[in-house]
Amino acid sequence: MAGNYKKVNRTLKMTLWERVYVFEIIRGVLLTASHFFPNLWGAARSYLSGDPSIRKIKTIYYPEEVPPIPEAYRGRPVLVRGADGKEKCVACGLCEVACPPKCISIVGAMREDGTRYPETYTLNGAVCIFCGLCEEACPEEAIVMSYDYQNLCEYDRSLMVYDKEALLIPEEKLSKRLEYIRRRMYNKCNY
Amino acid sequence: MDLHTEPLVLNMGPSHPATHGTVRFLLKMDGEKVLHCETEIGYLHRGFEKQCEAGTWTQVFPYTDRLNYNSAIQNNVAYALAVEKLLGITGQIPERSTAIRTIMCELSRMADHYTNLGASMLELGALTAFLYFVEARELTWDIIESVCGARLTSNYVRVGGLSTDLPEGFAAHVKEVFPVNRVFWSEFDKLLTKNRIFLDRMRDTGGISEENAIAYGFTGPCLRACGVEYDVRKANPYLLYDQVDFDIPVGFTGDNFDRYLVRMEEINQSMRIIEQLIDKMPGGPVNIDNPAVRNPSKEAVKGRMESMIFHFKNTIEGIQVPAGEAYVPTEGSNGEVGFYLVSSGGGKPLKCRVRPPCFALTQAMGEMVQGAFLSDIIPTFDMINLIGGECDR
Repeated sequence: MAGNYKKVNRTLKMTLWERVYVFEIIRGVLLTASHFFPNLWGAARSYLSGDPSIRKIKTIYYPEEVPPIPEAYRGRPVLVRGADGKEKCVACGLCEVACPPKCISIVGAMREDGTRYPETYTLNGAVCIFCGLCEEACPEEAIVMSYDYQNLCEYDRSLMVYDKEALLIPEEKLSKRLEYIRRRMYNKCNY
Repeated sequence: MDLHTEPLVLNMGPSHPATHGTVRFLLKMDGEKVLHCETEIGYLHRGFEKQCEAGTWTQVFPYTDRLNYNSAIQNNVAYALAVEKLLGITGQIPERSTAIRTIMCELSRMADHYTNLGASMLELGALTAFLYFVEARELTWDIIESVCGARLTSNYVRVGGLSTDLPEGFAAHVKEVFPVNRVFWSEFDKLLTKNRIFLDRMRDTGGISEENAIAYGFTGPCLRACGVEYDVRKANPYLLYDQVDFDIPVGFTGDNFDRYLVRMEEINQSMRIIEQLIDKMPGGPVNIDNPAVRNPSKEAVKGRMESMIFHFKNTIEGIQVPAGEAYVPTEGSNGEVGFYLVSSGGGKPLKCRVRPPCFALTQAMGEMVQGAFLSDIIPTFDMINLIGGECDR
């Protein structure tokens, strides 16, 4: 346990130069200018050439440009539609009990071949807190957090209640997330 | 001729542009002087502690994010450590998990101090300094987002492990961001620390004596600014803090300027801790190999009956925590954060009590601004860093 308690340097010795303050204002303005002019120059060059990567400023012009989404990102939870066109969900109800704000409700049913499926699957997007516990609870990798975060807002809360058809996304569209959770999250080597 | 005067009662808040967080000050003013200040909290009360009793032990994690949302992972860690103490598995947590928790705690501390210092300067009128620190914070949050998938509502830690391993290229990402953050730090320092207007507003305002600070239950940067050498990371080491080399800045008088200096230095020390740990990151698993505590891997759940039973039982009934009580103090960015948990045996907490650092700091507001000017309330209130979500719970 090295390192210890150290007193901060509170007694600042101000030189005459600093006490006059006018010169300090100039120094401050120069510092601000060292940000302002490169930002302005970069923005102008980027506007003229149409290349956003040469812009110095970090601000993203949102609807036209979108920020890069990390692999771990948790967006809207969606159901996985398997390659055979059927939902992977077997209506076991684990996500329903794992959900902290209780936004999922499932009614299960049986197919003719004896496999179970959710007759209705309702996820209330207005209540969901995007915690990802449903994904963690699902034993079938049937519900995953997608990278979908746009256009989730509505003026009416009843429009934010997603039914099964709104939730089902083909497996190949979710391959990046599915691959990520298999590799980094629920992999055997993590245990 | 003597004019007849009487004190003016002034309401500041609950929604005041210069107070981040909903809190109301009932002020009795004599001209510009504060005769009496009464602090009213409770505008953000959501019933967190009661809500914990409704869910399983795991379901509390997303709600702990919403306490101090600037440093959500520290709350996650504090809660996980308390549950692990109840379970008696504190020593069995994998090394890698502990190292990642330490790194993420320090990243959160950096983000919290950036936000606090930046927002405080914004309220004092220094918008440029705010923008520099917010950019530094955004870069820090980018790292956190790449690890746990969200900037604020991290939900990263689990009992006995973590929700996910570090992403590939984490160390490189951190090493790329830290030099940029250091530049922002030095620019912020250049703009403010020797600024005369800033010094006039911060120095010798909102001070509190060492005895009073201890009597009020101060912890964290505000206590250390008074000159008290107390930091949970040194006094009662948890995670890997006894294996890393770092200094704790301590102030002299306990005024706002000392609090500012302590926070500024803590950012540097947090970077130092992260840089030491990132170089000797242990490999191996991040989760405890105990299916009764941490859900087994998905492969095992699909392949083995026992794993599937554990997975279902853990999710539906919750982790079975033996009856007892536990409290683990941890050093949050604002002071001591701890969860006092009572279990009656079973899947749900019987009682979950949070020890929020800013609650103790807020109750001393009246004393700190007594006799000061109205404008001194702003830097004092900024420097105690009240977070509504944590204070009112």
